[in-house]
Amino acid sequence: MSVRLAAVPGLPPLLACCGLLALWEIAARIFDISGLPPAHQALRELPAILGDRGSVLNILDSLRRMGLGFALALLAAIPVGLAMGRSRLVAAFFNPLLMTIYPVPKAALMPIIMLWLGVGDASKTLVIFLGVSLPVIYHSYQGARAVEEKLLWSAAAMGMAAPRRLTHVVLPAALPEIFVGVRTGLVLALITMVTSEMIARQAGIGNILFNSLDMALYDAVYATIVIVGILGFALDVGLERLRSWLVGWATPVHEMAVGTA
Amino acid sequence: MTTRRTFEILLGLLPIALVLGAWQALSASGLAPPSLLPAPHAVFARLVEQLGHPSFLRHAATTLWRLFAGFGIAVVIGVTAGVAATGSRTVEALLKPVVRVLAPVPKIALYPAFILILGFEHASKIALVAADATFPILLATYQGTSAVEPKLVWSALAAGTPRRKALFTVVLPAALPSVLTGCRIGLVISCIVVFLAEMITSADGLGHLLVYAARSFETVDMFVPLITISLLGLSLNAGFNALQRRLLIGFPEQG
Repeated sequence: MSVRLAAVPGLPPLLACCGLLALWEIAARIFDISGLPPAHQALRELPAILGDRGSVLNILDSLRRMGLGFALALLAAIPVGLAMGRSRLVAAFFNPLLMTIYPVPKAALMPIIMLWLGVGDASKTLVIFLGVSLPVIYHSYQGARAVEEKLLWSAAAMGMAAPRRLTHVVLPAALPEIFVGVRTGLVLALITMVTSEMIARQAGIGNILFNSLDMALYDAVYATIVIVGILGFALDVGLERLRSWLVGWATPVHEMAVGTA
Repeated sequence: MTTRRTFEILLGLLPIALVLGAWQALSASGLAPPSLLPAPHAVFARLVEQLGHPSFLRHAATTLWRLFAGFGIAVVIGVTAGVAATGSRTVEALLKPVVRVLAPVPKIALYPAFILILGFEHASKIALVAADATFPILLATYQGTSAVEPKLVWSALAAGTPRRKALFTVVLPAALPSVLTGCRIGLVISCIVVFLAEMITSADGLGHLLVYAARSFETVDMFVPLITISLLGLSLNAGFNALQRRLLIGFPEQG
């Protein structure tokens, strides 16, 4: 029974959503505190938020910053990671620095970067860029390191020059692993985006969240959380589609990477 | 070989030295006023001074307590759920879609909800840390336990071990490398998240110290908690690595 249900694509996650909403509704009715409004009440707020021009512009602004930071990070991180994977020297050069930066909470740099670049787009985009870069570099590095040497030898034997080998052999061969990093990076981009806006408290969806909290609009708080949740899930599904379209030949070892959360 | 190794280590130290050098040069040249970018020696002197300060250590202890409480909860939930999903088809069918939906959701967005339900004190921060650290541990445990050689389990079952017991005495230990990797990732995530939560709303902890310093434009004091939490993350990561190596003596080398 469960096997046949699971065979319908998209159905299990949908059922999971319904289950989670039902749990929420029941919990809210049992505990009956103002801090936890029932699910239906929060969901009723959704059209109001999505119909409000200001909120929608704020959310779109957030997404634009996220997209920009994310794209810049991919442009910078993938070449660095691939170079690290193909050259021991480059790897030895970057590894210690990256290991040192790894545990720094990137969004926590926000107040310091704000001193230098102001509260505007630049600092938020930079923070997102920093947050996304590391996992993408790491996975591109692992992907490029694991490229089958014979592929490179064959290409070299057929007269392909080194730079072309990098773009025509290493990059496609490492692409499945790169996608693991990109997927982690996308989730991190969303996290850094929301967090930086919660810290800077000036614009964006993180700001809407805390403004509603300050004004005790609890339904709106929960509705905004639902919006962020849907964004996270939708972006992840979209990327997964793109992955299976681009590198469908490589089945991932695991459906989800451990570092995703 | 050894000279090559030393060369590579030195090469690795180069970018770190370059960053510190650029920082020193920027602040010494006067291009960046000290109020925007304090000199590195001022920051490190302040860090050493603060580390001897009882009130600073109290803030650090608060952060650590939240970190470990949340991480502990995450380990218990993550490992149990991961093992249960491997052990039972029903649990697996129930858990998989829920994880599929919740894992890519930025947990930090749940923080306001935790505040509303659990209050501004420890509980909401611990809950956020637990929510963030659970998923990597759960996924790693599930992936590790489901990859365990089935012959091991069959032997245990044939020898008369009850199925449930075999799960914890055979499958979990065999999956230890993967479980520990998940825990290490979860630990660093906990470190980052607890700091962010304290920055967003808090009256104590290292994250609060950063925000407090930012409000009064004490740039040096902004760097100190940030460096402290990063060093904490580095040393927890290194400590966990050492623990992992000790526990995994006899296991095949992990890629």
